[in-house]
Amino acid sequence: MPKILIPTPLRQFADKKDSVDVAGATVGEALAALTTAHPDLKKNLFTDEGKLRSFVNVYVNDEDIRFLEKDKTAVAGGDTISIVPSIAGGAR
Amino acid sequence: MITVETQPWSVMVDHAQATYPNECCGAMLGSIDGDVKTVRLALPLDNAYEGAQRERYELRPEDLLFAEREARKNGMDLIGIFHSHPDCDAYFSKTDLENSCPWYSFIVLSIQQGKFHHANSWLPNMEQTEAAKEELTHPNA
Ligand SMILES: [Zn+2]
Repeated sequence: MPKILIPTPLRQFADKKDSVDVAGATVGEALAALTTAHPDLKKNLFTDEGKLRSFVNVYVNDEDIRFLEKDKTAVAGGDTISIVPSIAGGAR
Repeated sequence: MITVETQPWSVMVDHAQATYPNECCGAMLGSIDGDVKTVRLALPLDNAYEGAQRERYELRPEDLLFAEREARKNGMDLIGIFHSHPDCDAYFSKTDLENSCPWYSFIVLSIQQGKFHHANSWLPNMEQTEAAKEELTHPNA
């Protein structure tokens, strides 16, 4: 089963775990399994329309899924999925 | 509320003054106890924005992953992000808001003519439509 690493601020919604093993053959399935097991994570990761929030990047191992096959990116046992916020800004 | 200890505070101010007139950015590591956050370690990170860094900053995701790993290694949590506003006040701009993440405290340091002037901490909401001011304590306050 792929493993999803949980960023520190979200662990409070995942029984304090820093990683969760989930079933799923794609990133989309794995994230769905994660938010089914830990429903409080859902609103942190997805909009009401079910799209990943704009500040949420998902990596499989060290690759951004936007440069792979997005939520259809295949995952298997031994793969690590990371949730990494995207952060930027500017005074103007 | 968020308190920044003396050592990380000087790292943040030094980094912001050294990168002036450009914006700087970095990660704040520490602990959270209920509503009280304490910054114990500051990690200056690269401003990865490709363009005029006088008014923009961007963090690389891999640098955030690095900060997460450093936090774990030190028995701390990644609790916030800091950046500077050269010759601007420490408000949370529309650009800051639209590129923020509600999981962290955002400390903005106002650097006026190369010197630290004041700072504020902000808590953006999930929809990136507004940020609440968070009580901030630091050695220069
Ligand atoms: Zn800013």
